Amino acid sequence: MTKRHIFIVFSPGRVSQTCWGKDDTSENMAAPFIIGEAFLLGVASGPACVASCGPVVFPPLLSEGTGWRLNARFLSLFLGTRFLGYLLFAAIAWEFGVLVSPPPAERGLIYGGIHVLLGVFLFWYAYSVGRGCAPKCAGTALVSIGPAGKRGVPGAAVLGFLTGVSLCPPFVAAGLRAAELGSLVAALLFFGVFFVGTTLWFVPFVGVGCVKRSESVVFVARTAIVLIALYYLLAGIAMLAGRSIYG
Amino acid sequence: MADAMCAGLPGKTPPRTWGRALLLTLPIAMWSLLMSSHGMVQADRPLKMASALTAAFLIALFFLMMKTANTYRWRRWYFVALGILFPIEFIHNVMVLRGSMGIPIEEMIAGRTPFCFLPIPLLILPAALTKTLVFPGSILPGGGMAGGGMAMMVGLWLAITLIVGKGWCSYACFFGGIEEGMAALPKKAKWSKLDPRLRLVPWAVLLAMVLLSLALFEPAYCMWLCPFKAVSEYVAARNTVGLVQNGIFVVLFAALVIVLPLLTKKRTQCTFLCPFGAFQSIFNKTSAFDIKIDRTRCSPCVLCQKSCPTMSLTDDSIKKGETLMSCMKCGACVDACPKGAAVWHIRGTEVAVKPEKARLMFLYAAWATAVMLGGTIITQGLATLLQRVM
Repeated sequence: MTKRHIFIVFSPGRVSQTCWGKDDTSENMAAPFIIGEAFLLGVASGPACVASCGPVVFPPLLSEGTGWRLNARFLSLFLGTRFLGYLLFAAIAWEFGVLVSPPPAERGLIYGGIHVLLGVFLFWYAYSVGRGCAPKCAGTALVSIGPAGKRGVPGAAVLGFLTGVSLCPPFVAAGLRAAELGSLVAALLFFGVFFVGTTLWFVPFVGVGCVKRSESVVFVARTAIVLIALYYLLAGIAMLAGRSIYG
Repeated sequence: MADAMCAGLPGKTPPRTWGRALLLTLPIAMWSLLMSSHGMVQADRPLKMASALTAAFLIALFFLMMKTANTYRWRRWYFVALGILFPIEFIHNVMVLRGSMGIPIEEMIAGRTPFCFLPIPLLILPAALTKTLVFPGSILPGGGMAGGGMAMMVGLWLAITLIVGKGWCSYACFFGGIEEGMAALPKKAKWSKLDPRLRLVPWAVLLAMVLLSLALFEPAYCMWLCPFKAVSEYVAARNTVGLVQNGIFVVLFAALVIVLPLLTKKRTQCTFLCPFGAFQSIFNKTSAFDIKIDRTRCSPCVLCQKSCPTMSLTDDSIKKGETLMSCMKCGACVDACPKGAAVWHIRGTEVAVKPEKARLMFLYAAWATAVMLGGTIITQGLATLLQRVM
């Protein structure tokens, strides 16, 4: 059976399909040029990535312990699992010829589901911060979600993965460009370099580690997480119900 | 009687003579008359009367502040009048223009949403990172109900804030008056034990709303949490989500602006929710004016703490001789202190040396703002009411 790699792009009013074979001209483009393009696209899209991930990354980061090393660990884990989420989504899209941006009905279900999951895990995270904070707030380990002790999963990893599969606009932009490359490996490489470009914008967040975590700071961060979780839950339920979140 | 009591206490400013109080009121009287002169020369009789009444009201209140050396009691009358008359005028206007308090999404897309100061902190990050204004209003004057436009409101806010700091929330905010009025009604608070951590919630709301506004490219607080949507305008509800949004506005308004102020005698919306208030607190660090506690006079009776409508005094802060950064400079603690230990202060000067001079300097700036911003709104609100009865 001949495998067709299809990327379907939804645009209001029409769905366009594009097929690429092995002899696609873009495959022959110089590798350094493509890598440079991916990197620049990542750097240019960085502010949009920060904006998109801000509500999920910043308050949890603020509710972790003090110290730039701990915060760097949180960010590495968050960004790493976010990247995994990206790659997983891209690989599935590539392998099965499914959709980067599906039609509205399916899109509502997928994004609504992810929003609900984000809401639930943010709540869980806020609860877990409280559990870890009970003796004193300045912890030395990352906040973990799940059973107490070593069996829990670091919250940063879960949140990173969920934002990775949420498909922010910069991801879609990179996805479209990667789709033109004609081979899965080249597309994943393009994604990887694009990701490095966007990650530069997250590096200053390590500086949050310098903020001394008092009980007040952690309380503010936890309450903000709860509010953001409420928004994601409400928006997710609205999307699942096929409702616009704009009244 | 209170004045007579104050007169004999060391540290308390005694009441002034009529002549001296009148003299001190003169600059504000001139400013008030100047501000209301536009309305007074109009052919519209209700507007003419409203302008004259407003000017007289504001001048009289300032005179009483000068005469009695009390601030909070007289300021409260102005603030409550502003809080009540703003929705009257605003709702009347939207009903006349649109026939509904619900703003249709088409109006928002067309950039005709009236701009208030509450979303200012939500605009900064999206503007800095993406050069986008995430409020569906017009930048310059014009554009339907947009009134003065965003540029004018932000400019006014910045100019006033740099001088009075969080005093904005006591002299310029046109939302806080309703809850201050509610808080003034009961003689004693039914709930006096409030979790002090609740004071931090506005910071959390600010953080969450700034981040969500950045991610969603919309003023998230206006869309989801602003209690004052219940008495101004809201997104016209066309589906269940719209109803949920409006339900949130009404519940928050009823709880934080009506019920809790009655039970606690505090400005609960300002203390426990308002993200703009939290943002404004930062400017208390840049303002020249603040309130200090003179430790040499203070016998910790905590009357100042009890009287503070925003829980901005704690045992620790009193020990340090200062208020928390959430202080709105309403003057309640200064008026309540029987020893004259709570004093107005200008940064860089010695504490309690000439507190009345600091108070006067602050009040001239704050009351000039009150006349300019609040006076205009009170005039319009009064004119609306007078048009109905005349």
